[in-house]
Amino acid sequence: MDYIKDKAPPVREDRLRACNAYGGSCNNLVDQSKKGCLNGIKRTFSQTQGCQLNLSLAILNTIRDAVVIVHGPLGCGGANLSVAGINKNFQQLRDSNARGLLWVNTNMGESEVINGGENNLRDAILYAEKEFRPSAIIIVNSCVPAIIGDDIDSVVEGVQGEIQAKIVPVHCEGFKTKIMASAYDAVYHGILRNLIPDLDAEVKSKQDNKNQLEELQEKYRISRTVNVLNVSSMSRIDEYELVRLLKALELKLNILPCYAHPEDFLKATEASLNVSICATHDDYFVEHLKTKYNIPYVLRTIPIGVKYTNRWILDIAKFFGIEEAAERFIAQETKLLEEALVPYRELFKGKRVMIGGGEIRVVANAELLTYLGLEVVGMRAYHYDQFADEMLDEVREGDRVPFNVATGQPFEQANLIANLKPDLYVGHVGGNGWAGKQGIPVLPIFHQSNIFLGYTGVFEFARRLARVLKNPSFNRNLGENTKLPYFKNWYEKDAFSYIDEGNG
Amino acid sequence: MSKFIERPRYLCTLGGAIATLKVLPRVIPIIHAAAGCGGNIANALHGASGYLGSGYCAGLALPSSNIYEKDIVFGGEERLTEQIATTLEVVDGDLYFVVTGCMVDIIGDDAVAVANRFHQEGKPVLGAETGGFKGNSYKGYDIVLSKLFTDFVEKNPVKKKNVVNLFGLVPIQDVFWKGNLNILKALLEKIGYEVNTFFGEGETLDNLKYAGAASLNIVVSDVYGIEPAKIFEEIHGVPYVIAPLPIGAAGTERFLRTVGEALGTKETIIEKVITEEKARYYSYIERLADVYNDLDFQRYSVVVADVNYAPAIARFLADDLGWLPELVMITDVLTDEEKQLVETRFQDFTSGIRPKLVFDTDTSNVSKHFNASWQKNNNDRYFDSFSPAFVLGSSLDRDFATSIGAPHLGVSYPLSNRVVLDRAYVGYRGALSLVEDIFGLLVGSR
Ligand code: SF4
Repeated sequence: MDYIKDKAPPVREDRLRACNAYGGSCNNLVDQSKKGCLNGIKRTFSQTQGCQLNLSLAILNTIRDAVVIVHGPLGCGGANLSVAGINKNFQQLRDSNARGLLWVNTNMGESEVINGGENNLRDAILYAEKEFRPSAIIIVNSCVPAIIGDDIDSVVEGVQGEIQAKIVPVHCEGFKTKIMASAYDAVYHGILRNLIPDLDAEVKSKQDNKNQLEELQEKYRISRTVNVLNVSSMSRIDEYELVRLLKALELKLNILPCYAHPEDFLKATEASLNVSICATHDDYFVEHLKTKYNIPYVLRTIPIGVKYTNRWILDIAKFFGIEEAAERFIAQETKLLEEALVPYRELFKGKRVMIGGGEIRVVANAELLTYLGLEVVGMRAYHYDQFADEMLDEVREGDRVPFNVATGQPFEQANLIANLKPDLYVGHVGGNGWAGKQGIPVLPIFHQSNIFLGYTGVFEFARRLARVLKNPSFNRNLGENTKLPYFKNWYEKDAFSYIDEGNG
Repeated sequence: MSKFIERPRYLCTLGGAIATLKVLPRVIPIIHAAAGCGGNIANALHGASGYLGSGYCAGLALPSSNIYEKDIVFGGEERLTEQIATTLEVVDGDLYFVVTGCMVDIIGDDAVAVANRFHQEGKPVLGAETGGFKGNSYKGYDIVLSKLFTDFVEKNPVKKKNVVNLFGLVPIQDVFWKGNLNILKALLEKIGYEVNTFFGEGETLDNLKYAGAASLNIVVSDVYGIEPAKIFEEIHGVPYVIAPLPIGAAGTERFLRTVGEALGTKETIIEKVITEEKARYYSYIERLADVYNDLDFQRYSVVVADVNYAPAIARFLADDLGWLPELVMITDVLTDEEKQLVETRFQDFTSGIRPKLVFDTDTSNVSKHFNASWQKNNNDRYFDSFSPAFVLGSSLDRDFATSIGAPHLGVSYPLSNRVVLDRAYVGYRGALSLVEDIFGLLVGSR
């Protein structure tokens, strides 16, 4: 894979033949995915979702000491308004001086649509530099400049010489892809092209400046360092848990890309292994680091739940040839955890649960919930691609459990909940409120103030779950007093009635 | 050419249109745009307006054609037709309103014509072009209202003397809109009128449908809702009066007199209501006599808000609380004419206070204007500092407040640091809430 010379990465429909509309059993989904026939299925009724610009911002907004320029009309990136007051606290968990989210919208109006918005963009870049003196200026390109043909790369080239900040153009116009996760590639593409140094030049300058001993020490340090790639919805305490797990194996961590400082990416090539916690999030980045810098990677699973946390640790240990130590650590951790979980198991027994979220996380959470003694009755993922095949193939009773691939689409969820009647919904942002209005308890997964990863994550998850089940009155009351916006007969139809496979 | 905006406090035209439709009872917006527009807007509307929530059929439930590259190349009208038809099957509403994003307006999809075809078949479907590049949220509000006044409000040549419509207070951009409408409605009911606000508590679409029978439109804004009011007058023959947003005793008294005069209400009725309301208001305010005077609770202040709120709050601080609002920054995009008009609102405070007024869209300029209007301490032994101070603005202005060591109350969009349900700040009653919130912060930090 080498797309780095191109201005923009390919979209996921093309690169991964990813799918965002499916309803059927897990087994059938894996079969279809392996045959590659899920691509291009559409909905005849659809609800809104995010675009790759929105999701790109979710990652880019976390970068410290950067200014984000949204190149488009005022609304694009408007969701920043909802995180503007909160983001700073999370940044400050990494650096107490962090300034929080700073952004500029180029405010393309009628005249820019006609005459082009390149001047606005240039002005905004110069302003961002002068006003904030950031380390990086990140530009996200929205639909309008893409349609009218603004050449943002030449604006960047023209202005880079005049300013100190590194400019990072990210091509993430919404209409280009139906797969929101294309954002991950767009963001990593921008980072790879603009924040990660050219390796040859780097190595040379280092050799010039260092004596032999220093060089050996450095080599050793690198040989014990891994890059762990985080995601924007992870918490700081999640990161601490991963540090704890790998420290037990005497490894050091660089944590990237979320909440990093632009300069932290300089160090991205000073590690002996890239470790992903979510293949669908990171494959583009780790593949490129492998091709360009010869850094191998681990990309198989996510450290959620006991089974996959064990697997995650073992994959890494295998690379360093320290499996025995890892096995010992795992045995000790799982024993402690099992003991701690005993008091909760009775409460969970036989409870039926539906899960929604990113494909990898959904499957890992299904494993976790089954492990805790609940019964998984349905799963929903934002999109689906080959990276989940291995894990989904392992789902028990995969022929029976329905899987819904849907970015959002709460109407399908509402139908499934009404018919499957789960006792609990476990989901990522966007669908939880709707489930709550159907009266069932909800446990949100993944947000910036809770821990979900590793063994501590399992225990904390169980603890939260017990709390939510103990008193579901709030949602029960909601269920009795609110109505979802669908006609009654919608719930009598098949949940996947509006998925048009003929189009695939 | 338009200028970039640093941390804008509004969305695009489509954002304003969706906000407006989202809070109209049982109205279902149908977005004709790329998939992300609605999601992005939904996030901003929910998370930046005191946690408004998804609503009946908004948030991620917004029906949307989710067009992408192929439709942009070949045109998206077919996809829109399909989406409207399926929405009518799945989603339970009384009125379906198609709104468009930038890209479909640019490629020339005629979404309004598609909507009209459904309308002609007797389906309750309307549509308007709301491409984001046309302007900001406020523009979206004006476009949607204008369309509703033109095509949804029923013609009625017979006017009812005691019925009025009230608008101009932009839902969600005014985070407290619903509570505010309740209060204004109750006030007008007290002087003898039935009021349609369209977005208020307990109203249905019928309030909008039969609004043509009103005898006056009251526009609670110098800038927003004016265009729709003109259209209303043209089509339904109902005149309008501009009565800016009232907060507190001084502002509300003016509001009642302005409206009373336009309606030809007997002065005695207006006077009676003012006297009663004021008496109630002061029966509570009186409680502050001790704390205000024992603890010296007069404050310098800075107000950062939109063109509806800024004059109202500044007047309240100056004329009601006896504070010193020194700097007011209005963050909207305005024409020179509109700016001039708004300036006049700051010239007749009964306290004689005249805050420095600036029009600026960029968030980090708040502190620049502040530094320009209030000298910095250059290590002088004796220095007239801007202290004690208080900042009223959006959650984007919290950092500024911190930088000058002032408490901060979020009153204008975006608000992501407080939860707002039926709180209101207008009228006499709303001012009491405002006083509770302001002084609550002052005593809370003791
Ligand atoms: S216009 Fe395009 S980039 Fe902007 S929010 Fe909509 S889909 Fe996303």
